Amino acid sequence: MPNMREIRERIESIKQILKITNAMYLISSSKLKKARKAHDDTMPYFHKLQETLEDILEHTPHVQQKYFNRREDIPAEKRKKGYVIITADKGLCGSYNHNILKLAEQELAKSYENSCYLFVLGQVGRMYFKRRNNYADHSVFDGQFLYTTQNPTLYRAREIAELVLEKFGNGELDEVYLVFTDMVKNEFVPKVVRLLPFERRHFGKDKDGTLKKLPKASFLPSPEEVMNYLIPNYAKGLIYGAMVEAFCCEQQARMTAMDSASTSARDMIKELSLMYNRARQAAITQEISEVAGGANALKTESAQ
Amino acid sequence: MAKTFHLQIIASDRVFYDGDCQHLVVTALDGQLGILGGHEALVTSLPTGELKYLVDGKWHYAATSEGFMEVMPEFAVILVDTCELPEEIDIKRAQEAKRRAEEKLRQQQSIKEYYHTQTALNKAMNRLKISQKHFK
Repeated sequence: MPNMREIRERIESIKQILKITNAMYLISSSKLKKARKAHDDTMPYFHKLQETLEDILEHTPHVQQKYFNRREDIPAEKRKKGYVIITADKGLCGSYNHNILKLAEQELAKSYENSCYLFVLGQVGRMYFKRRNNYADHSVFDGQFLYTTQNPTLYRAREIAELVLEKFGNGELDEVYLVFTDMVKNEFVPKVVRLLPFERRHFGKDKDGTLKKLPKASFLPSPEEVMNYLIPNYAKGLIYGAMVEAFCCEQQARMTAMDSASTSARDMIKELSLMYNRARQAAITQEISEVAGGANALKTESAQ
Repeated sequence: MAKTFHLQIIASDRVFYDGDCQHLVVTALDGQLGILGGHEALVTSLPTGELKYLVDGKWHYAATSEGFMEVMPEFAVILVDTCELPEEIDIKRAQEAKRRAEEKLRQQQSIKEYYHTQTALNKAMNRLKISQKHFK
């Protein structure tokens, strides 16, 4: 039978933790409300952006543009890949960070040694890759890349987009990917999306699988000029959308995690208080039987 | 009744307008551009500027910042960072932003910073101009 004092101490400590998880639950649910609103406001833009760009690329004539340059002359083992990875600033949000880091890890495992450049948003991911680089030198980690994932803004997205485009433009990167958590019907799906270089499709496919030629759109003032403006804008929009989506997922994940933590804390307290009562009852019974036993012994002694 | 086309104006934080429109005038890179129904396929990028569209004989005005536009014969899509009605513009905030940008321009800056400040100044001036023009 466990000690009564021990059980009481455990119950107390669980109560303390319950207070914390419950408070975190309330905070994340109010933050989620805000994030959800931003998410719902931005999603039409995010989806339309991708849709429109796809449509535009189908209608684009051949252009010599630096962001379309696939640099096929560079062999696979020499290609420099950049990854923009969006993680959370804090832990305690279930498997959110774990999933995104696992996906990033899988992506990195596919590429060659020292060919990956990481741009990590969020404290958790930053610490993870910093530590990881100590034992497995596999990728180049940008320590100067310090952005938070809290309350995403267009301004921050633009800075990131500018940095990545600049590095792509001067040949420091040959491919750029965006790794973030997407919300699909209340489920979190970690995703890898290619940001650069752009792919231009000459032909769209008809329903029967034959190729159809799409009419070319006209560009004002010229396709090159328009692309020069359009692509940074698109990159910024895409990064912003991904940030908003990831932030919303993070809050949702934290809320669920904290909710289940609170529930299991309550369950544990229930179980422990049952055990405590049993132990208390046992102790009382034992005391009574001891007293009764003692009294009986005294009685028989005096009778003799 | 004039021919209409479907117009979608989508800003990064909301759907600004989604509906039919008879005439659209935007500020493109090299001047103003008018779009009517049945326009040829066109793609252009939009700098910070003014936008107006005609719905049921009434012109609506808006201040937009950078974005791009896709026009097809039956529809047009405008994707911009921000889009505001003249009466929604916060004049105090725009004035403050303008003052801040002008102050920054007097300092020595890197090229990148210079472009950022210039963009900020453009946005602020555009907001002020449009709110003064249409909303007094």
